[in-house]
Amino acid sequence: MIKVTELRKTFTSYVKEPGLLGSLQGLFHRREVTKAALKSIDLEINPGEIVGLIGANGAGKTTLVKILAGIVHPTSGTATVMGFKPWERSNDYRKQMCLIMGQKAQVWWDLPALDSFLLLKEIYQIDDRLYKKNLEFLADTLMIKDQLKTPVRKLSLGERMKVELMAALLHQPRVIFLDEPTIGLDISAQKAVREFLRNYQVEFKPITILTSHYMEDIKELCPRIVIIKEGEFVYDGSLSKVQRLLGDNKVLSVTTGEKTFKVTVPRADLARKTTELFSGNDIQDLNIHDPSIEDIIESIMRTGVSTR
Amino acid sequence: MKLWRFIMAMEFRKILAYRSDFWITFLGQTFIQLLIARALWQDVFEARGESTLNGFTLGTMTLYYLIVPVGSKILTGENVGFISREIYDGTFTRYLIYPLSFLEYKTLTYLTHSLFYGLHLVFIFTVYHLVFDPGALGPAAFSNLFLGVGVYLLAALAYVMMATAIELLALWVENIWSLMVMLRFFVFFFGGSFIPLDFFPAWALGLLQYTPFPYMVNLPAKTIMGLLSPEKILLGAVVLIGWTVAFRVTVSLLWKRGQLGYTGAGV
Repeated sequence: MIKVTELRKTFTSYVKEPGLLGSLQGLFHRREVTKAALKSIDLEINPGEIVGLIGANGAGKTTLVKILAGIVHPTSGTATVMGFKPWERSNDYRKQMCLIMGQKAQVWWDLPALDSFLLLKEIYQIDDRLYKKNLEFLADTLMIKDQLKTPVRKLSLGERMKVELMAALLHQPRVIFLDEPTIGLDISAQKAVREFLRNYQVEFKPITILTSHYMEDIKELCPRIVIIKEGEFVYDGSLSKVQRLLGDNKVLSVTTGEKTFKVTVPRADLARKTTELFSGNDIQDLNIHDPSIEDIIESIMRTGVSTR
Repeated sequence: MKLWRFIMAMEFRKILAYRSDFWITFLGQTFIQLLIARALWQDVFEARGESTLNGFTLGTMTLYYLIVPVGSKILTGENVGFISREIYDGTFTRYLIYPLSFLEYKTLTYLTHSLFYGLHLVFIFTVYHLVFDPGALGPAAFSNLFLGVGVYLLAALAYVMMATAIELLALWVENIWSLMVMLRFFVFFFGGSFIPLDFFPAWALGLLQYTPFPYMVNLPAKTIMGLLSPEKILLGAVVLIGWTVAFRVTVSLLWKRGQLGYTGAGV
């Protein structure tokens, strides 16, 4: 189980004025800037649950994941994952979790993946039988058996992601942190990774936190979502419920001679708003439909209206 | 120990992964260094019209300048940035996720490179000894060689701790490159890589004995050449172990404090 209480994280960085003068000034004086990446977060995730963490860039998703994975220390508050404080980095905890970052390679670049796996087998002290079983299962499911003897640097992006997944899951972790696992992948590779993750969740039932900008990942994998905006949760609940939150709204997709845009309006105002639009614009196309999950989440992230 | 073996074997595989680089390092450098050192010092000795310079003959001087560059590589193992580069690009994160000590892992990978260059030194020495100057160093040549390589590895351990202490400063500052360049300069200049310490004034040698530098270059090179007594070698080894322990403590303190500020960000 993951339990997070009043978790805060503040980052300090330095800014420098642009130009040569700014560079010279920077030699003697730096301006310190403090940013609250997480502002008193509370969260509980039960065993076997998979939760989608959604937010704009810089909202605090990855910071939360990094704290729970033990990479970053929080500024204040508490968090426990299966009873462990992650940032204490006990080996007992690290043997039960994994972190997969779509944008950062963790396997060794110069060597074939199988070499990395052998080292990971020793690092995680996986017994021979389990190693063989998991290796076979993962390679078959991800359909990457033939590429495991090729140096990782020579693999395609999709193949590399599959290898990263294998490396992270060889020890059969009970907690999985997935940070943008499908970023940069083509559509078929995205589908393959999603399908694999869904089957893995059914088979092994780990606690999983998934962050992704691709709504397809979230829709297909996460029955529960948490929306984070500027370091605060603005929604924590089921994916199906979020659709009902703006159920009384309609979305107008409007195309004029110059641009295409969307307007979300309350159902009761639909006629008035449509008339307004027609009177002031050169409307070429108008479509009225229920808001999609993407529309709803975008609206929540943009307006920041608390729906908890 | 089994994990140590695996980590070192893995690093060896990385060294062997690029075969052209391997052969250029192993063979190309050997013969280029051999020819340059021999030709250069032959001219110097002929110009001076003397058979010895500060106790060095042409043979021992050539050998010194063959040993020292490869010995420098034993010391410096992996390149500058072996920790800081990973801190800046964020790949350092993996050592925090895997259930292993990052310091243990990094020291082992570093020493694997040192060991590789140790084997390179054995190869160079053997070529020199058998092909160019057979019998010049006497029957103890190979026992001195292995003892000297051992001292070099001990010196590499001291160096990796010094380098790690500086590399970990990357957890606070945005660039540690210049500090590492300074460290290398101090080690190689005051250790005797550029000019043998026998050419330094007595007052400088008196000061240098309170630093780790002469024990990192001069001591192992002279051990290989059979120019030091067992007592001096033993004393030097004890000094190196002392510096290793001192820097290991420093590294622990830096890591304890520095990890609190690690953000895992990167390019």
